[in-house]
Amino acid sequence: MENIRLAASAIRANKMRSFLTMLGMIIGISSVIAIVSLGDTMRGVVANEYKNVGLGLAYVYINSQNDYYGESELFTQDEADRLKEAMGDSISYVGFNQSTRTDLKAGRRSSTVYVTGLAENPTAMKNPSIIYGRMLNDGDVQKKRHHMVLQKETAVNMFGTENAVGQTVEVKLNDNMEEFLVVGVYQNTDSALMKALQGGSMETVYVPESILVSEDSMMWSLYMIISDVSQMDMMKERIISFLSRTKHVERETIIMSSASEEMGMIDSMLGSLSAVVGAIAAISLVVGGIGIMNIMLVSVTERTREIGIRKALGAKTRDILIQFLVEAAMISAAGGMIGTALGISVVAIGGLAFGITTVVKLQVIVVAVAFSAMVGLGFGLYPARKAAKADPVIALRYE
Amino acid sequence: MKEIIKIENLNKVYDTGAIQVHALRGVNLSVYEGEYVAIMGQSGSGKSTLMNILGCMDRQFSGLYELDGISISEQSENQLSSIRNKKIGFVFQAFQLIPRTSALKNVEIPMIYAGMKREERHERAKRLLEKVGLGERIYHMPNELSGGQKQRVAIARALANSPAIILADEPTGNLDTRASHEIMEFFTELNREGATVIVVTHEEDIAACTKRIIRFQDGQIIQDERVVKEEC
Ligand SMILES: Nc1ncnc2c1ncn2[C@@H]1O[C@H](COP(=O)(O)OP(=O)(O)OP(=O)(O)O)[C@@H](O)[C@H]1O
Ligand SMILES: [Mg+2]
Repeated sequence: MENIRLAASAIRANKMRSFLTMLGMIIGISSVIAIVSLGDTMRGVVANEYKNVGLGLAYVYINSQNDYYGESELFTQDEADRLKEAMGDSISYVGFNQSTRTDLKAGRRSSTVYVTGLAENPTAMKNPSIIYGRMLNDGDVQKKRHHMVLQKETAVNMFGTENAVGQTVEVKLNDNMEEFLVVGVYQNTDSALMKALQGGSMETVYVPESILVSEDSMMWSLYMIISDVSQMDMMKERIISFLSRTKHVERETIIMSSASEEMGMIDSMLGSLSAVVGAIAAISLVVGGIGIMNIMLVSVTERTREIGIRKALGAKTRDILIQFLVEAAMISAAGGMIGTALGISVVAIGGLAFGITTVVKLQVIVVAVAFSAMVGLGFGLYPARKAAKADPVIALRYE
Repeated sequence: MKEIIKIENLNKVYDTGAIQVHALRGVNLSVYEGEYVAIMGQSGSGKSTLMNILGCMDRQFSGLYELDGISISEQSENQLSSIRNKKIGFVFQAFQLIPRTSALKNVEIPMIYAGMKREERHERAKRLLEKVGLGERIYHMPNELSGGQKQRVAIARALANSPAIILADEPTGNLDTRASHEIMEFFTELNREGATVIVVTHEEDIAACTKRIIRFQDGQIIQDERVVKEEC
């Protein structure tokens, strides 16, 4: 207790110097916290994005043996239907994920968008937040109705109002102009960061895939939603077996990948990336610690006489050791706390700028502050021991 | 009467590598409770060396030294700290107050290391400073005090844990005549109250305040006489 008061007054007596010493700690801690939190935030964004997509999303394609792609490598609508039938409830959606960039027209206004096709059970694939009207349904797909769900911005662009339900739109498909009825308008809820990552703000409208894909179309790949993500490995096995059997191709040529696998890969990549960068930032903590050791050595030398007086008056070796250790620990802990506050504010400001909810894990803060106090104690130990071992007679004579 | 200091055949050699300085040569000395002793001698005769040993700050000697019945050469480093803290009140020529620390705090330091409670040592430090006539200046920093005032703070500090003996190595060496006499009056007063006091000095009239004068030369006691007390 007395030591804390003593250390505080020693730190106060040399305000500027103490602050400069802390600076190393402040920079170290704040960068570690900012970097690790940035990594955690990115992982959160990715996880969230995959949750929006659905972790059950998987796709499959067949690699050709001889650069020629024919019936046995490509998929037809009929084959897609048969796969879905064979898998029953284990797959909630099978489609081709057809998407084309094309122009929409309404009167004299037009707009370039992505037209994305959705197969039966469309909400399993895309479940946008509808603000007017309704989402596409199975009836639209089965009966090949020319129905369309617009993005809010497209609606405003084309009709000057968000509520474009009931309007008709002309779409250029395969060189024909086809007329669609707007049945719904949705709002894009992606974060600003995600939009930026997706490269600009191309708007997307949804139509039944059955309109984009004719009976005899051949498609490269099949997209599906596995109902139970935990069964992913087993389902992969079943689907590959089924396709190899029905299409008479080698199992090895069938390539199947899933969102949960991809996410796992990206997540572990981001994780190790932020760990590596965080570790580099942690080196600056060690540099900060050396700064503390340096200043403590100066302080011990400056206060040789004081140490001598204290020893002459009855201070034990331990008393002096603790006095200087507490001082070092207080400098680094104070630096650690200021650094934590700074790191958290940097993360918060960054999150505000990108419109994302940031993640600052408590354990990151605890580890960073504990580490800084340890650095302070570790690097304070040598100077403190030097002080404690001083001989009172010699120290008193020190000028 | 109780023997506070008992020294037999005390020798001290400073080994500075190239040369060896034989600073004390076979000193024998006994000081009893309530004595008031002056140590005199030429510069370099070994007075400070003896005081450092008496003050338990220097354990590198040969011979016997018992303080209040405790054999000093057998004590550990930490035990010596505790003996310095409780049994010895040291007053230095250069005052040795801790800078940027108030008079009150300076006086409290020995009590902190003795583990005394905050309020208690606060009270006691205040009373001691009043006793040395600095009741008005307890919150002054050392650099805001005159030499004589600093030495009075140091005396108050030496008294903090009611030591068995007060050791003063040229306490008036940095003071003018008037301040010197003031300081000596404190020692005389303390001795009258029963304290055992040993003072190193170069000045005869300072020594004349005491009751026993020991003269040193080349690390040996050459004279040890009781003085008929004259008023200082
Ligand atoms: N730390 C040391 N290392 C080597 N020699 C020393 C040391 N301290 C003192 N001496 C020597 O020991 C001898 C006695 O010194 P001491 O300081 O005891 O003298 P003193 O009587 O106190 O003198 P003064 O009146 O000048 O204070 C001197 O010759 C001195 O040079
Ligand atoms: Mg001397």
